Amino acid sequence: MKFDLSYTIDALPRLLEGATVTVQVALLGFLFSITLGTIIVLTRTTLNWRILNGIIAVYVSFIRGTPLMIQIFLVYYVLPVTGLNLGAFTSGILAITLNSAAFVSEILRGGLTSVPKGQFEAAKSLGVSGVALWGRVILPQTFIASIPPLVNEFTQVLKATALLSIITVVELLRVSQQIYSANYHPVEILSGAFIIYFLLCFFVSRGSVLLENHWRVRRA
Amino acid sequence: MMVEETKKEDHFLQLKDITTTFGSIVALNNVNFSVKKGEVVCLIGPSGCGKSTLLRTANWLTPPDKGSVSLDGVLVGSESNKNMSLNEMKVLNGIRAKMGMVFQQFNVWPHLDALENVVRAQLVVAKRSRKEAEEKATKMLFDVGLGEKIHDWPDNLSGGQKQRLGIARALAMDPVLMLLDEPTSALDPELVSEVLNVLKRLANEGMTMIIVTHELGFASQVADRVAFMEDGKIIEEGPPNVILKSPKTQRLRLFLDKLNITSFTPS
Ligand SMILES: Nc1ncnc2c1ncn2[C@@H]1O[C@H](COP(=O)(O)OP(=O)(O)OP(=O)(O)O)[C@@H](O)[C@H]1O
Ligand SMILES: [Mg+2]
Repeated sequence: MKFDLSYTIDALPRLLEGATVTVQVALLGFLFSITLGTIIVLTRTTLNWRILNGIIAVYVSFIRGTPLMIQIFLVYYVLPVTGLNLGAFTSGILAITLNSAAFVSEILRGGLTSVPKGQFEAAKSLGVSGVALWGRVILPQTFIASIPPLVNEFTQVLKATALLSIITVVELLRVSQQIYSANYHPVEILSGAFIIYFLLCFFVSRGSVLLENHWRVRRA
Repeated sequence: MMVEETKKEDHFLQLKDITTTFGSIVALNNVNFSVKKGEVVCLIGPSGCGKSTLLRTANWLTPPDKGSVSLDGVLVGSESNKNMSLNEMKVLNGIRAKMGMVFQQFNVWPHLDALENVVRAQLVVAKRSRKEAEEKATKMLFDVGLGEKIHDWPDNLSGGQKQRLGIARALAMDPVLMLLDEPTSALDPELVSEVLNVLKRLANEGMTMIIVTHELGFASQVADRVAFMEDGKIIEEGPPNVILKSPKTQRLRLFLDKLNITSFTPS
């Protein structure tokens, strides 16, 4: 059996459709995870309630210490038991969000420690406090300092979406499986998916460099 | 919130019975300190004696354990209002904006260009329109000699330029008082004068200022009063030609001797 590129080319339109779903899930999941991660960091530093901090710490260590696949299954199978029927797509995004937010919150925590205390003081001395202090002075600097690890985390999310195929989200890998289970040419089809995943991650990383240059991130 | 007895000219800024501790360290030990309107006071003293803490008490960045601060008869803070309500915070923010602070490490905002550094607080705190704020910022930047650097990023400015940007940022809020914490200590020697010249101009224009500095030559030129601190207390104060030329206390004499050895100041 030799490699027949025509199978890959024929599958391309459907693979790209699947890739669109992959990108959608990754973008939405990451957007929510950035939001949740930011909220976590903010409650941690501004409220600093011991109980809440404890809950966050437990959440982060559970997420980091368990396989993502189990987390996805849990969200998909456990939520309907509680009466919440979200469907595969939404459950998938939720699982990705809950997983990624744990990492994003740690990334942002690191970024926040790189913002000197003097930045807070300068703002306060000018009368800037609360929402404006965080929104206009501290968080922008936190995010800029976190660009490289955040982009890295986004590529992780992009690749992790492949796992959502197991809960029937029709993303790139699921589409590939559908195609090769009909035509029995897994090598040609999976190679196509392989290249598409690679190109997605490649362009995201390139984008990171541009983003960094734009913000003139200082490198040590 | 008027405090009648402090309305007098002599007490434009008044720090009353201030005690500040950090654990077992007593940073300020029952300090009373007032500044007249238009007065320039230079604070000197050895490292760790409480100079920065005193400045940071004035705008309530470091609330003391005991004591109160008022500016122009209006209470800035007292030990009783440590846990502020949102409304009290708003009032304090308004007062803080009127006390421009300049830092040893500049603390300009690296994610904003020079103009935006000066614009931001005007929008948020002074509630100016963007157009108004940008006009004001442009004028302030020209005034400190950064007219050519309006759209430069802080990372691309020299130390002296960053510090002048910090000064412009504070001045844009129309402060009635400036608090300067070793504004030239982090600068290369050749950049010190460009910052001191801006401060001299401010002094000539009648700006009320408290300046922590080790530049004794500069202090003797611009200061109306020099205050010497040690161990959280003001030990000796008076006009610069008296304080710097014929110190009364042994401690000040020793301190000045040490400074004169490390930084040569011909007089
Ligand atoms: N946030 C803080 N936490 C703990 N200790 C502090 C804090 N801020 C100041 N101190 C201590 O209080 C004392 C006074 O500090 P302060 O910064 O006011 O001194 P300073 O006169 O400005 O010194 P320097 O010339 O080194 O700037 C020092 O012993 C310092 O270690
Ligand atoms: Mg100091």
